[in-house]
Order: sequence, then structure tokens, then C-alpha cells
Amino acid sequence: MAQTSKEADPLLKELDKLERLSSFTSSAIRSTTKTKSPSISDSLDSLIASLKDAKQAAETGQAPEEYVGGLSSAVDDRKREVEERQKEIHSSLARFGRALDKKFPNPLPSYSPLFTSPKAAAALEHTIVSHFIRTGSFSVAETFLKESEMEAPDELRRQFVDMHRILTALRSQDIGPALEWAIAHRDALRSRMSPLEFHIHRSQYLRLLLSQPTPHLVLRYARRNFPALYAAHASEIQRLLGAVAFIPRLASLYPDFASPNIHTDVEAMFARDYCAMVGMSREVPLRVVGDIGGGGALARIEKGNKVMRDRKSEWSQTDELPIEIPLPPRNRYHSVFACPVSKEQSTEDNPPVMLQCGHVLAKDSWRKLEKGAGRVKCPYCPVESTSPPHRVFF
Amino acid sequence: MSATRIDHAGTLLLEQPFARIPYEQFRKTFRTSQKHIERELGAVQAATVDLVKRAREGTCDAAETARAIDGMIARAEGLKRKLSELHTNTTVPVQATIRRRLEDLAMVESLSSTDDPRFESWAETRLDRWLVDWALRNGREETARKLAQEKGIEKLVDIELFAEVRSVEEALNRRSCAEALAWCSDNKMGLRKMKSTLEFELRLQEYIELNRAGRTVEAMAYANKHFASWLETHNHEIMQSMGLLACKPTTSIASYKRLYDSQRWTTLTTNFRLAAYMLHALPTVPLLSLALYAGLASLKLPTCYERDAKAKNVDCPVCDERGLGELAREVPWSHHVNSVIVCRITGKIMDDENYPMCFPVQGYVYSREAMEAMAAENNGRVTCRETKETCLFSELRKVFIS
Ligand SMILES: [Zn+2]
Repeated sequence: MAQTSKEADPLLKELDKLERLSSFTSSAIRSTTKTKSPSISDSLDSLIASLKDAKQAAETGQAPEEYVGGLSSAVDDRKREVEERQKEIHSSLARFGRALDKKFPNPLPSYSPLFTSPKAAAALEHTIVSHFIRTGSFSVAETFLKESEMEAPDELRRQFVDMHRILTALRSQDIGPALEWAIAHRDALRSRMSPLEFHIHRSQYLRLLLSQPTPHLVLRYARRNFPALYAAHASEIQRLLGAVAFIPRLASLYPDFASPNIHTDVEAMFARDYCAMVGMSREVPLRVVGDIGGGGALARIEKGNKVMRDRKSEWSQTDELPIEIPLPPRNRYHSVFACPVSKEQSTEDNPPVMLQCGHVLAKDSWRKLEKGAGRVKCPYCPVESTSPPHRVFF
Repeated sequence: MSATRIDHAGTLLLEQPFARIPYEQFRKTFRTSQKHIERELGAVQAATVDLVKRAREGTCDAAETARAIDGMIARAEGLKRKLSELHTNTTVPVQATIRRRLEDLAMVESLSSTDDPRFESWAETRLDRWLVDWALRNGREETARKLAQEKGIEKLVDIELFAEVRSVEEALNRRSCAEALAWCSDNKMGLRKMKSTLEFELRLQEYIELNRAGRTVEAMAYANKHFASWLETHNHEIMQSMGLLACKPTTSIASYKRLYDSQRWTTLTTNFRLAAYMLHALPTVPLLSLALYAGLASLKLPTCYERDAKAKNVDCPVCDERGLGELAREVPWSHHVNSVIVCRITGKIMDDENYPMCFPVQGYVYSREAMEAMAAENNGRVTCRETKETCLFSELRKVFIS
């Protein structure tokens, strides 16, 4: 459905035409494609020339009848040319507009004002300023705070100023600050099973490998830094040492070592670990929500609402979405348990319970099956449970 | 559908204003050029007709003719200069903006996976654009400018458009319709296409104000001049408004009192803004809010608001009750038909291979992978991260989710 090739995009094609038509002077026309009328600049030049001729005729005392008629038809002709050209631009604009209509068949939904209650508005402002700080746009955050007459979240800023100082250094190939941070947080990183420290050294080692004419310095770096990391990263360290022998063929033998990603990934890993240490989410929250909303969810919700309206369903729009929005696995932050019997989502009042056989139902469903008999035959296997069901937590 | 496939149609839904705004600016520029041409060439043509007539009558004197032609030359040269400036200063940059934006959309349409680094940076810019849009609609123009400049996305955002809308609104707040009427004239083509009645409402207001000031004769002339073209569509309103000529602002007749009501100005300002937004396919609420609404509703679960803090996930945007979680209170809950069990330790979704396992007493569930890794490091013992319940791996119960 979507246009994938640039050449086939009717909008860009029409834009080429529009640019040709609206180019003021003819010299600016790049293409060989003819326009029906001359450029407006040419028409006006020609008009001015005719006027100047007529003026000269008047000044040299020619009888008006001799030149006025010619001037009059020249004016009419040039005016017609200009109008002609404008008409061409006008129809090209209209075609462009129709192509736009076709590309964007659905208008954006019009919702009643969103997030304008004092609490929500304040939360949104807080979210936005945190976003600027978190993404390192400190001066934008400053401006925003001033314009909003808000107080600066100092703690947050301090944390992220530090994070961006380390990131900036990493980006300019200075591993010092990142390494210092990783060593200071070694225990916490280990319990997170984060290989950050090793990845920092790996990045530096590979940079040396690619920039040093002799392996001497490279090996010295390895001897100094790898032994402590050997236990956890033995096979990778062996590969890294092996690479010394094959520097000219590095790209073909070890494509991952030659890729620039091996260095930029360290930045992302550091940012992730840093955020986790200060109790912040792995990904930038505004991006997560915006990407889901703008990546198809809004369109699906609108479609779902429309179906519900068409069916004149009683579905209350503010209570629950009428349809399920598919989420990428990394955006599944919580377990969702939908009871296989009642299809209802579990809640604190109607929690998931496990039968003796290991099958899980919602508590209400279990109650209906049990009917006070003290025993329940599992709907999914032959086992009969005789003891009360076991609450489980996902 | 793969989890990382880009939903192109869904993505494009929010990009309509992005593509349409510079197009409307182009149309507006075209209309300006059209006005210049009509006025100047019309005058030159009229002057020639006059010359021809006088030549036929023999009432031409050479000096006067030369002077008349001089005037025409000045007009033609002035027109050329104006059009050339308009072209250089407006048309060319607007075309460049249209091209830049269309290419931006074509680029993202050529990608297939959200994992593509080009998509990643496109989405980052998209959020910056939404933030600029939000800031401009919420009186943070400095923030908008600073962000646009810092990210180098001036061509991708519409600071001037919002500034223009705001200055017309301010004029309306000062009870001046002139700016809004000029805006209507500049955007005639677009407004006609969307069947906007804004211009009529503005005309009616100017007419009401003449009556309020007691300038009845002028009011009559005004109605005569400006209502004619609306008679077909707004006959009833026009006929009713004629009664104003006989009514003072202090009238007690309800329908005239309504016309004199100063509340009409507020409505006018709102209607102007709506027309300006609609003309550019801009939604009435900020794009950021629309995206957040849909995104939050896709994520929002009762778990995010549970009293038990153990249910929270620091990575979940909705769980942040001081931030996005507060916004999410205004959106619907997500809807789920199928169970998805996510491991609290690995964050992975469990399945037949990596099945859920449950601690025997407290009932907390983790993935097999997480439990196996823990057991391997601790001589076969596992510990519940939430309750600290500890047991042998072999004592964990396998859980079946049908
Ligand atoms: Zn949550």
C-alpha cells in the first residue's frame, strides 16, 4: 500500500513539475520538458521592451496612431501569456493537492482537549522537562523551565549532566570517564550481569588494534586489562587476541570487530546501565510511548472506535480500548493474564490461581467450577483438584 | 506481523500536517503573486486602452503620452521586481521545504524495520517535531525555537505558521477583524475547499460593530457590499441581521441581543484557530498529545496502578505515577484477549520452551531460563527476588497457561 520507491512518489513528481512551472526566469528551468507558456520574467521583459519602444516613438514625435495599436496588442498578448502561465501553475498545484489527498486519505481524529486538567498538565510539563534533561538538551530544558516558571529538578539534572559528560567523552573516543564509572559501580554491574567494563576495554583494544602499526602496544593493553575479566569473557578475549595475528584480514575474518557498532553499542550500554543505577527506565519514556502511539496504535484505535460506532455498540470509549494493540516484546512490561475460561483479565480482586495440575484460571472461574463441592475437575486436563487453588503472581 | 515491522499507514496518519503545511504556504504565495499580476497588468492594460482611445480621438499630446507610458513601464518593472522577490524569498524556500519533507517521508516509507538506525533517528526527530508543535501551542515559543535550532530541524517545523495564527488571534482579541479577513483572502482556495464560513462570520461581526457604533448608513453599505456573495448559503442569518439596523445594543430582543453579545468575539477567535488548523490538517489537540493518548492506552494495565509496589516495572512508562502515569489516568485501559507472561528477571516473554515456574509457597512465577541460571550459580538453589522465598530448583512447580 505504501509507496516505497522515491521515483514512483506522485507527490515528488508533481513537485518537479511545479518547480519548473513556477521558476521565475527561463534560465532556471533545468529540465528539457517544455512548459506551454514562456516564463513570467520573459513575458514581462518583452512587455517592458514594447513599452520602451513606444515611449521612444512618442518622444521622437511619431504620430500615436502608428505605434499605439501595436503596443496595445503587445500588452494584451503578454498579459495573456502571464495568465496562461499562472493557470498552468494553478492546475499543477491542484494536482499536487489531489495527490496529497490520496496519500493522506484519513484526517487526524479530533479529540476533546487532552491532558489539560491541572494535575495532568503539570505531569506533562514534568515529563517534557525530564525528557530534555535526559536526552542531554540541557539548554532547551533551561529555556523551558524559565518559560514555564518551573523550578529546576536539580537532582535529575545533576545526574544527567554527569551521564552526558561521560557519553560525550565516549563519543570522542575517550573511555576514561566511562571506565572510571564502571569500576566504581563494579559490584552493582556484576549483579545486573552487565558486561559494560569488558565492552569498554574491548572497544579501546580494537581501536588500538586498527590504529597501531605494531602489535606491541595492543598486547600491552591486553596484558594490563584482560586478566581480571578473563573468567567471565574467556572465549571473547581469545578471539580478540587472535585478531592480532590477522589485522589485514580483520574485516573478513572478524566482521563484528571491524564494525563501528562495536563502539557505539558501548555508549548505549553505558546509558542503559547508568539509568538503571539511578532508578530510571532503560528507554526514554516519551520516545517509548510516542513511538507506539505514532507507529500505528492511533490508527488502530481510531479504526476500532469506528467499528464500535458503526455497530452502535455500548462500548464505553473511556473505559477500555475496543481492540488489542500489538506491542513489540520489549514493550511488554507486565504479565497479562486473561482467564482461558472467562476471557477476563485478572485483577487484584479476581487474581490468577493455579490448580493442582499446574493450569491457571481466574479465581472467579474456579469458584464457578467448584460450586461449593470442594473439588474441581480441570477444564484442560483430566486431573481433579481436591485442595484449594494456589494464588500465583506473574 | 513481525514485532519490528514499520506500520507505514499508521505512521503516515500523523504526518499529514507535516506534508500539507508547506503546500498551503505555497498556495498562499501563489495567490499573492496572482494578486500582484491582476492589479499591475490590469492597470497597464487599462492605460493602453485609454491611449488607444485618445489616439483615435486625436487628443494625444506627445509629452503626456510619454508620461503615461513611463507610468506603465514603472508598473511593469515594479511587478517584475515584486514577483522576483516573492519567488526568491518565498516560493523557492517553500518548495525546498516541501521537497525536504516529502523526501523525509519517502525515506521512512522505504524502510521496513523499526530496528533500522535510520528509523531510529527519524523517530527521534519526529518526537522533537511533536515537542515543537506542543510548545508552540502552549505558549513556549522560546523553547520551540531553541529546540528547533539546536536540533537543526527548522525546515521540519512550523514556527512561522503558529506565530501567524497567534498574531491574528491577538488582533481578534483586540476586536479587529482586518487581520483575520486578510488571512481569509490569502487562503481563499483552501478555505473554499473546506467550505469554511469563517469569512462570513467575520463580515457579520464587522457589520454588527458598525451597528453597535450607531453607524447605520455605513452598516447598510457594508451589508450591501459584503453579504451579496453569501446570500445563497446564509440567507437566514443575513435577513435576521438586517434587523440590527433598527435595534440598539441595549435591545431586549433575544435574537439581536445574541448578535450584540461580546461572547461572539471569543467564538470568532476559536473558529479562526480551528479553521487555520483544519486548513493545514493540524489536529485540534497537539500531535504529541494524540501520540501519547494512543501510546499510553496501548500500555496501560491495572498492574501499573497496583498498591503493591512489587508489581511496578521501572521501565514501564505508565508505572511512573508522577509523570506519564498521571497522564494515563485520562486514557482507556489496554485490551487483551490472550495471556502474555513476562519474566520479572529477564524481561522475556515466556513460552512452551521457556516456560513459567512457580515458587511453592508464595506463588511468584519466573521463567525457566532465569531459574536455571540462578540454580547453576547457587548449587541448585533458587531464591524468589520479590519474597526471598528459597527452595531447590526441583521444588519449583511448572505452570501451564492455556
Ligand atoms: Zn506499568
